[in-house]
Amino acid sequence: MAGEDPGVVITATAARGAADDGTPVTQAMETVDMSVFYGSFRAVKNVSLQFRDHRITALIGPSGCGKSTVLRAFNRMNDLIPTSRVEGRVFFHGNDIYEESVDPVEVRRRVGMVFQKPNPFPKSIYSNVAWGAKVNGYKGNMDDLVEQSLRQAALWDEVNDKLDQSGLSLSGGQQQRLCIARTIAVKPEIILMDEPTSALDPIATLRIEELIQELKDRYTIIIVTHNMQQAARASDFTAFLNMDQDRAGQVVEFGATAELFTRPARKETEDYITGRFG
Amino acid sequence: MTFPRRHFHEELKTIEQELVLMAGMAERAVGRAVDALFRNDITLAGEVVAEDQLIDDKYLLIHEKWLETMALQTPVAIDLRLMSSVLHLLVTLERMGDQATNIAKIVKSIEAHTREPRILEHLREMGDLVQPMVRTAMEAFVQRDLALALRVPEMDEPVNRLNRSMTTEVARCAPDQEVLEWAVPMLMVSRALERVGDQAVDIAEQVAFLLTGEFQEFTRPDTEPYDH
Repeated sequence: MAGEDPGVVITATAARGAADDGTPVTQAMETVDMSVFYGSFRAVKNVSLQFRDHRITALIGPSGCGKSTVLRAFNRMNDLIPTSRVEGRVFFHGNDIYEESVDPVEVRRRVGMVFQKPNPFPKSIYSNVAWGAKVNGYKGNMDDLVEQSLRQAALWDEVNDKLDQSGLSLSGGQQQRLCIARTIAVKPEIILMDEPTSALDPIATLRIEELIQELKDRYTIIIVTHNMQQAARASDFTAFLNMDQDRAGQVVEFGATAELFTRPARKETEDYITGRFG
Repeated sequence: MTFPRRHFHEELKTIEQELVLMAGMAERAVGRAVDALFRNDITLAGEVVAEDQLIDDKYLLIHEKWLETMALQTPVAIDLRLMSSVLHLLVTLERMGDQATNIAKIVKSIEAHTREPRILEHLREMGDLVQPMVRTAMEAFVQRDLALALRVPEMDEPVNRLNRSMTTEVARCAPDQEVLEWAVPMLMVSRALERVGDQAVDIAEQVAFLLTGEFQEFTRPDTEPYDH
């Protein structure tokens, strides 16, 4: 499973395609020897990972190790950077999302993304949630969709009497949950989260973490976080990425979160998570 | 190389050093309790009983530091395993001090009785065996030495053997009522020393857990020998 890189340790059950009790599991996303380049610079190399359906996988590692680059490759967000290119394969339920015939807009609908800073549109709360569905030609009852999305994002009770107010009038934590509601409204299968709580206070952070746990029943979640305790608290699986001597990010270890944080297989992982990292 | 959590790791070091001091106190208490028995020295036995308070104080001090570090530093990986081992060792060493106290209290209670030299030698031998076991286990902990830790259960075998044969030794005293009254409590002394040996093995097991991340009992009769 380690691709070309014999140094990678993968201990996650997900990577073996079976749950602890031996029953087969479905992978929502899989990368095989994925490398991402910006011009001639290889930002990440030979990433081979599997992301189990309805599980939360955290990507951790030092700044610049390519966590966000890896995440953005999962819904072709890197396409928006002119010099970027992806090598290797990125499978979404078995289909390579980088095939020429694949529409990146459709990929981004099915693989939603929540960013570091809450970024609601300067429009009403209602419009923020309805916008994506409207663009996608949603034909159902929009009021129901907005309510359902806000409920799933644990925000409905706080905003149901002020849906006409601007999304920007909400607190930071509420704005981030609004962005999650907006993502949910287009009915994605995977939600990518790029440090979704780094701009929030501790209480708002814990609410988002709790929400992520609730969302995994419906979605597969991949989260990039700088906060190792957050990865430990909120994820089922963790991948640790680090840079090699060429500053290309690569996966050092991938495993069940509880395992990785109690007895990591690689010393490099241990040095990083225990703060002995140089 | 930089160490972003230098303060935390210094705290861990301090806790470990305090624990090593506590181990020295507990081991010394066991040795002094056996000396008091051998010399029929109730003054020394009284000191052992009184000094158990120092071991208890050390326990409370380390426990407080432990709790604070867990709450504030949320250790992971080897640091988490170290903290887990520290808590286990802390309880084990406190109980070791209690075993020394139990022996000392017995010495005080049977001071005037006629003694049986053979039983005293038997217990002296047990005392001489268990103290190095505690030292070896703690040395393995300090040096993070798995091979050394694995020697501790081997050292425990003669202690167990001597403890088992103590019943026969005491039974031999049956014809003399006065000696028998002295000898019966010696079964408890023997049992206390055997427990100290077991506690040293417990410490060694924690060293193996710390180093390998897997816990395995070294000396369960119903399982295969430990094979690392």
